[in-house]
Amino acid sequence: MSIERVARKGGAGWSAVVSATAVFGLAAMIGTAIPETVYAASELSDEPVPLAKEEDLPQRTPPIIEIGPAFLGNGNLPKGWVLPTGAVWQPAFWVFGSSRTAYNFVENRGAGQDLSEVATRLDLFGNLQLSGTERLLIGISPLRSSGSFTNYQFSPGAGDGFNDHISFELTTAFFEGEFGELFPNLDPEDKGSYDVSFAIGRQPLFFQEGALINDTIDSLGINRDTIIIPNQVIDWRMTGVIGVNDIHRADRRRHHGDVLIGWFNELNFRGPTVNVDAIVVATQDSPGAYAGVSMVQRFGHLNFAARLNGSMAIDDESPAVEDGLFGLVELSTTLPYGENLLYGNFFGVAGDFSPAALDPSAGSPLGRAGILFASPLLGRYGAALSGTTSDTLGGAIGLQMFFNNARTQLILEAGGRYEGDETIGSAAAVGAQVRQAIGRRVEIRGDAFYTVQEGRGGDGVGARAEIAINF
Amino acid sequence: MHRLIQLACCLGLAVGVSLAGPAMGQNLLGGGDLLSGGDSGGDLLSGDRSGGSDDGALGGGLLGSDQSAGGDSALGGGLLGGDEPKQDGLFTFGGNEPEKAEDEDAQKQANAAHEELFSEARYPSANACAACHPKQYREWSVSQHAYAQISPVYLSMQMTINALTSATNGDFCIRCHNQVGMNMGESIYTSNLDRHPTSREGITCVVCHRLNRNYGKVSGRFGLVEGDIYDKVYGPSGNEELERVLKDPKYVVTAERDKPGRAVHAEAEEFFALVTPGFCGSCHDVTLLNGFRLEEAFAEFKRTDAAAEGTTCQDCHMGKVQGIAAGYDRGPAAVVGGVPTADRRVTNHYFAGPDYPIVHPGIFPHNVQAAELKTLREWLEFRYDEGWGTDEFEDNIPPGYEFPDSWQYIDDRYDARAILDEQFDRLEWARGLRQEVLENALQFGGFTAERESGGDLAFSIQVNNATNGHGVPTGFDAERLMFLEVTVTDADGKVVFVSGDRDPNGDVRDTHSLYVHNHELEEDAYLFNLQTRFMLRMNRGGEREQVLPINRSLGPLPFVRPETRPTAIYGRPRSARKHKQTIDPLGHRIAEYRVEAGKLGASFPLKVQFRFIAQMVPVNLIAAIQSVGFDYGMSAKEIADNVVDGAHTVFAHTFEVDENGRFKEVENTNVASAR
Repeated sequence: MSIERVARKGGAGWSAVVSATAVFGLAAMIGTAIPETVYAASELSDEPVPLAKEEDLPQRTPPIIEIGPAFLGNGNLPKGWVLPTGAVWQPAFWVFGSSRTAYNFVENRGAGQDLSEVATRLDLFGNLQLSGTERLLIGISPLRSSGSFTNYQFSPGAGDGFNDHISFELTTAFFEGEFGELFPNLDPEDKGSYDVSFAIGRQPLFFQEGALINDTIDSLGINRDTIIIPNQVIDWRMTGVIGVNDIHRADRRRHHGDVLIGWFNELNFRGPTVNVDAIVVATQDSPGAYAGVSMVQRFGHLNFAARLNGSMAIDDESPAVEDGLFGLVELSTTLPYGENLLYGNFFGVAGDFSPAALDPSAGSPLGRAGILFASPLLGRYGAALSGTTSDTLGGAIGLQMFFNNARTQLILEAGGRYEGDETIGSAAAVGAQVRQAIGRRVEIRGDAFYTVQEGRGGDGVGARAEIAINF
Repeated sequence: MHRLIQLACCLGLAVGVSLAGPAMGQNLLGGGDLLSGGDSGGDLLSGDRSGGSDDGALGGGLLGSDQSAGGDSALGGGLLGGDEPKQDGLFTFGGNEPEKAEDEDAQKQANAAHEELFSEARYPSANACAACHPKQYREWSVSQHAYAQISPVYLSMQMTINALTSATNGDFCIRCHNQVGMNMGESIYTSNLDRHPTSREGITCVVCHRLNRNYGKVSGRFGLVEGDIYDKVYGPSGNEELERVLKDPKYVVTAERDKPGRAVHAEAEEFFALVTPGFCGSCHDVTLLNGFRLEEAFAEFKRTDAAAEGTTCQDCHMGKVQGIAAGYDRGPAAVVGGVPTADRRVTNHYFAGPDYPIVHPGIFPHNVQAAELKTLREWLEFRYDEGWGTDEFEDNIPPGYEFPDSWQYIDDRYDARAILDEQFDRLEWARGLRQEVLENALQFGGFTAERESGGDLAFSIQVNNATNGHGVPTGFDAERLMFLEVTVTDADGKVVFVSGDRDPNGDVRDTHSLYVHNHELEEDAYLFNLQTRFMLRMNRGGEREQVLPINRSLGPLPFVRPETRPTAIYGRPRSARKHKQTIDPLGHRIAEYRVEAGKLGASFPLKVQFRFIAQMVPVNLIAAIQSVGFDYGMSAKEIADNVVDGAHTVFAHTFEVDENGRFKEVENTNVASAR
């Protein structure tokens, strides 16, 4: 097997990977046979380029388990079963997911809390596809429980040694489908409009880029898509959600008995895309009301997004819900002769903004502002800059660079936050992230940051290395 | 029979047995047996898996490429392709080698014949249907359905997507474009020159007429009913007329494999779903398994008055007039041996839409005679534009002029020219219907002009969607370039304003133009374009438009897997979405322009010329997929030029505007071509 062939088949064939440990083999694996030519020159070439051959291109990378028809594989497809409703189901079960393992190191000179650990997580999903619109998805994260990841601590005094956080709780378990497709006999001539879709069960909800909701909630969602407002909106997606269990409030605690009711809209105007969302969390002890609006638009070469989210305690403020406003502006532009992206994201928080629902391991709403504000969501390696959403201003500017047909990526970023509360102290940081694809399934990643914080008497540094495998 | 003999030899059977012909065919190829393949996907005919593949889904097949030296073709060359490069013998040593090569060739030919027989037993070619359904074949042969797999743009696009996603997109695109090829286990990467002829037919007859279940919105992932030409077909009517034909000796037909006569299907079962919009929706609402709603033609239709009134997709796209529910023609569904069957409602199988072919006319439209005369590779060598096969050329061949081996004979060139003349007729007919459907969808809605107080000229052009069945464009709207080209000249003929002009590649000057992207040309700030945009969420920095919806910002290994969030709630994955720019049913959009006073000068009246252009894909798509190369030996530039040449002018008008802003129309030009 040639080195090139190893490169294309690398992810699936471990024996091939082992045989390609030579430097040249690794060099081939990180690249592709397909050159990056899209933006290299403006003028199209009149030189014929032969169609790439089979051996130059990757073979299908299947999920780890396929029962029934392969996941997007060729060959005959089954004729399926006809349900009494008239629907035809062609069941297929696929198991897929990812495994991530990282070594994390942080030296926080100000707080005197150092970190040296290996942490790991495994996310597995089983997807029972029944038809084009109906499916059942279940998921587990067996090396994670209550926001903690199975780890080995090297630092003394931090639970040093092995700490297992094994859990077989279903992290995801929902069924989704479309009424019109489930009951086609109701409308055999397709005159009606029964194409209302729904999802029920334990499902990840994510609205306003995670600022309003970023949690997995036992809920029912009903959606109407492709709604038209004549001459104004060609595509309006409207969703109603009722969540009844497992809601993590802003205090990062699971609140049993709280009920979340949300109304979410995405409207495509000719220029902007606008999202308008509203949520009420009904509970006896800390009810809250939330709203968010965002606009995404391009102005020439400039990509623009602005989001404004608010939270309000209906009764007294509590750690579960407080009054606050959170605004985020995202700007970016693609640089010429490539796809490199220059970005600047800026935020401001007035009061104490509280998301309606936020999973303990999901990171802060500020994560969208920059990699310096984002946790890698693996282990105790937090963000370089605090994700607290209370009376603050801040932002980050960065450059994402793509090499090697985007299989090698580098982000360089600088950011900071100004604190309205002097007792906390403002902070600034620089950081970098490098990611490299290897073969078809494996990615290695490295992160590093350096932080200075007012009033803490010291700086902080962090670095981590991670290997991720996609199934 | 010749092929049966080859098949028998291949299987090591006695010639005497093989001469039993029909009986053997019935037993061996009758379906439901070992050789006909099953639903399991463990397909004997799959040849795309090279030896050593670790995917293990299908494995190598009896006729797989692992048996051939090249290993890059599902079906090899030989009878099917006829295009296998010949050994030149330069590196051949030893006296037995030529014999061995001949044996290998014979083996390949036998395998190819074997394969063709199997596929005919499972999925008959449109050529077989053409014998009794010439009208339907002729219409289909030049249609977008027939072009679905032939298209070099689509083929390179789906290959690029797979190249960039570890092939996790698998057969998603090609499954719709090439049901037969995928069912036979062909590779997603193979050149069309090396595919099985029926595979190249794309959305061929059996894709609609060998379906007997209403699968709903499955994005083309349905189970075709296998069977040879004698097996049952499914259509809009029942079996009554077929029964009469089978009994009437003047048709000389037989539905029994071991009896003489024209082979026909034994039964035509009514399949009601075939005439419903939902049947079209099983391919024309395309949702990826990660929840990305790529095409929503059916979803849009379901929101319209047309749906509520009971107007179907077929009413507008298979009737007398393309784009309007104007009723259907009547005529025979079949002409058997020159004898027509009884008149009934007949449908147009052309289904006009915005796509048009850009390949050599010898390989498209599909043509039975063209396929019999030469292979695709040989057709690609036929230089029709130099006049081959015409008296003018043949009587004046310059000295030393060289023809490729396959076109050495003048008779072949004249035969080819005769075939191409018919091909050009079909292409012209198709172009006319395409123009018709475009004109019935996109219409000029009005012009206004005003001289503002500061002296600027403000003018607007309204574009209407005249259909009540869906938005325009619809379907693959993210790659449909439909735009206004506007030029303002003063009384001296000097151009004072332009929008919708093209860059040197043929692109409009939006941010996807390579020249604009690279800041070598300015963006066209006034561009009016109905092309939907793919929006991708960046790692940081909001969203940006991309030509291809493959998100490489979130990580270096884009992977297509089922979405782990409920897509029913979001209608899209988190990483990508569409931003539609289309016009809603019976709606309109107004293009607004402003020419600054300083550019107007004093030479009035101004002439405002504009035309609405429909082009099947933007040139920047060709740039985005060029890395994997193109089929048929075409260059990116050649494809781009052909795409631009094929664009349609849907409407064109010229207005004069005086110094006070008063305007009048001076020209209304609806032309059939934008060339």
